[in-house]
Amino acid sequence: MTSRTKLFLLVFAVLLSGQSWAHHNMTAVFDFNDRVTVTGTLTAIDWRNPHTYFTVEVKGAAGAIESWQIEGPSPSFFRIRDVGKPDFQDSVGKTVTVELSRARDKSRSGLIRTFTLSNGKIVSACPQNC
Amino acid sequence: MKISAHVAVILIAASLCLTQATGQVVGQGLSAEAKSKDVAEARAKRNAQTFQNKASILTLLDRYGKQTGKVGERAMYDSAILSPDGKRVAGIKQDLDNESFDLFVMDVATGAATRLTTSARTEYVYSPVWSPDGNRLAYVSMRGGQERICARAATGQGAEEVLYNNPGANMDLSDWSLDGQFLTFSISDIKGGVLYVLKLEGGSDRKPVEIFHSDLRIFESRFSPDGRYLSYIVLDKADKAEIFVRSSDPTANAGPWQISDGTFSPGFWVGGGKELYYMARDRSIMAAEVSTSPSFSFKKPRLLFRQEVPVPDQLMYISADGERFLVLPPARGQQLQQVTIFDRKGQVVKKVGEPALYTQPAFSPGGDRLLVMKEDLKTGQQDLWVIDVNTTRATRITDDTRVKVTPLWSPDGKYIFYSALLDGDWPVYRKAADGAGKEELLFRYTPGAFVGLSDISSDGKFLVCGSGGVVLLVPLTVSDPAARKPVDYLRDEFDDETGRLSPDGRFIAYRSDEAKPERYEVYVRPFDAAKPADDKKWQVSKDGVVAMLHWRGDGKEIFFRGQELDSDDLVVMAAEVETTPTFRVAAPKVLFRLPGPVKDSLGAISHDGQQFVLAINVPADKTEHASSGQ
Repeated sequence: MTSRTKLFLLVFAVLLSGQSWAHHNMTAVFDFNDRVTVTGTLTAIDWRNPHTYFTVEVKGAAGAIESWQIEGPSPSFFRIRDVGKPDFQDSVGKTVTVELSRARDKSRSGLIRTFTLSNGKIVSACPQNC
Repeated sequence: MKISAHVAVILIAASLCLTQATGQVVGQGLSAEAKSKDVAEARAKRNAQTFQNKASILTLLDRYGKQTGKVGERAMYDSAILSPDGKRVAGIKQDLDNESFDLFVMDVATGAATRLTTSARTEYVYSPVWSPDGNRLAYVSMRGGQERICARAATGQGAEEVLYNNPGANMDLSDWSLDGQFLTFSISDIKGGVLYVLKLEGGSDRKPVEIFHSDLRIFESRFSPDGRYLSYIVLDKADKAEIFVRSSDPTANAGPWQISDGTFSPGFWVGGGKELYYMARDRSIMAAEVSTSPSFSFKKPRLLFRQEVPVPDQLMYISADGERFLVLPPARGQQLQQVTIFDRKGQVVKKVGEPALYTQPAFSPGGDRLLVMKEDLKTGQQDLWVIDVNTTRATRITDDTRVKVTPLWSPDGKYIFYSALLDGDWPVYRKAADGAGKEELLFRYTPGAFVGLSDISSDGKFLVCGSGGVVLLVPLTVSDPAARKPVDYLRDEFDDETGRLSPDGRFIAYRSDEAKPERYEVYVRPFDAAKPADDKKWQVSKDGVVAMLHWRGDGKEIFFRGQELDSDDLVVMAAEVETTPTFRVAAPKVLFRLPGPVKDSLGAISHDGQQFVLAINVPADKTEHASSGQ
């Protein structure tokens, strides 16, 4: 029996007042089996809990600009890893590419799998977001 | 694995890894802040404590529940399965420092281990299955953000072979058919599950065949020895698991048949497919007589044996001959908890009731009752109870299989508030503290999102909750629970949690990691429910805290649990404070220490700050011999 099963079968309520928790089960909102890739201009960053958010303006099929709202891991996730807010800020106003698990409601939103910054660095949010 | 970071390191072990050959990869390692000496040392000590509290040795039992041997070293095992000949065990071990999981093969007789995989930091493998000849192992790997089924020789020799690239996620690989031609796996998420069979003939473009799908989650599928049927677990909306059997032919209209009445393990085909064994919710090992020819039939499961110990071992695997049971005993041995009240010096004032499986004891506002979470030794079910301190009479508050968390007393002591997991969501309820009546839904948060209670305003008009590092206020003044919307009270780039209101309601204490990563301190801010927090704040603690944040009833003292990384002891700290004309705090002092590990709760301190209630680990009477149903 793997931990994946155990998580569902074992009572894990030994949880106490105040330990940190993940915010939500990503599969409630995003379909991990529906991946899309968007390329466009990073226009905004919201670097707050419970998740980071990024806005990417993408040129649509008819030439119109479509705004994608993209969810990333929490700021504390990045805080202990060697990529952070400055790396994303440097890409604001520049072209980025994001591979997403698309929202189940098919809106122009998704959960980051990989995020290619304007300088070519690739940030992957896997396995957490994969 | 995506349910709770509290449960699986994997959740927080998101790697930043190579996904394209041409890109410069960032984020594989730790940040400079996280690598600093004190942060790294603290992490190493936390990992050492976690290992001490969770590592165990794989153990073999016979079909009567008697221990026959141990396998390999003490480790944190994610899963373990016996080879077909019973001479080896394939196990997934967790590496806390590397935040990874890897596959090992251990010799049952000698304990000698062969490492089959070496994961990069934050990557992992899981779900091993033996080939029927015992020569190979298949497993799921998560590397570079790609889920794959891989296989390699059980000797560790030769290269790894990729059997299947999963375009999605959440594979639960669980069996290799006896004829060697098929694997079976399921993919489940909060919206449901799909059961698959993968034919191994062919190359890397193999396509799995869907056997069936459901809006319920599906796990641990296993082939009958003749390959005609699959057993599997279905998890219902209330998180109750059952074992079912259906045809492995998706075009056949055969099944499903429900075998279990509550299970805590997968079904294991035994005796050439003549029986299905599993662990029931009360941890009894059950055996159901089955037949797969000419069609499937089964008889009511019977008791095979039950370990007559308070905390039964965790079942990992049952051999195909039904003679060997691979289990993981409790990491810290047979322990129960004695609910115990202490004074401010850490001296025992009173022991309440008999030892049982207790967590989260909390004083009622009047101090005459205790709220506890108790696990029923017979059913494996955890429920909330209220115990009268003087008479020890216990009143059941809940009676169901849901996971209940963060229980709190209402300020008037008339209700118990709690969150309960239901179909992936965490609705907040309240129920009368005398157990009467039905529970009342108070609030539903974002679908799939955890929300935990940390306080209730003294007038009962709003809840203080936490979710994902954000302190939320939930107004209860709106009559329709569906219309109650949370307000972000404290939301920034740091993990802020466990908001606790001062008795006069003018301040809020909370924990935050803003000073250092992976370490929390107590802060206090002015509080006004009508507007978000401003920048004014005072730091109360300086050496790290965990849990147990509490204001004394007169608002003149704040209690918290100090971080103790060298011993795992419980250290109760107290800081004298003033709230008028403004907030002032004295240096915190150690009130008392207790040998750890001891779990605590938000309600562990009485209103007047004179008493502390804790569930203290005590050795359980152990019965050496298992009871047999035969």
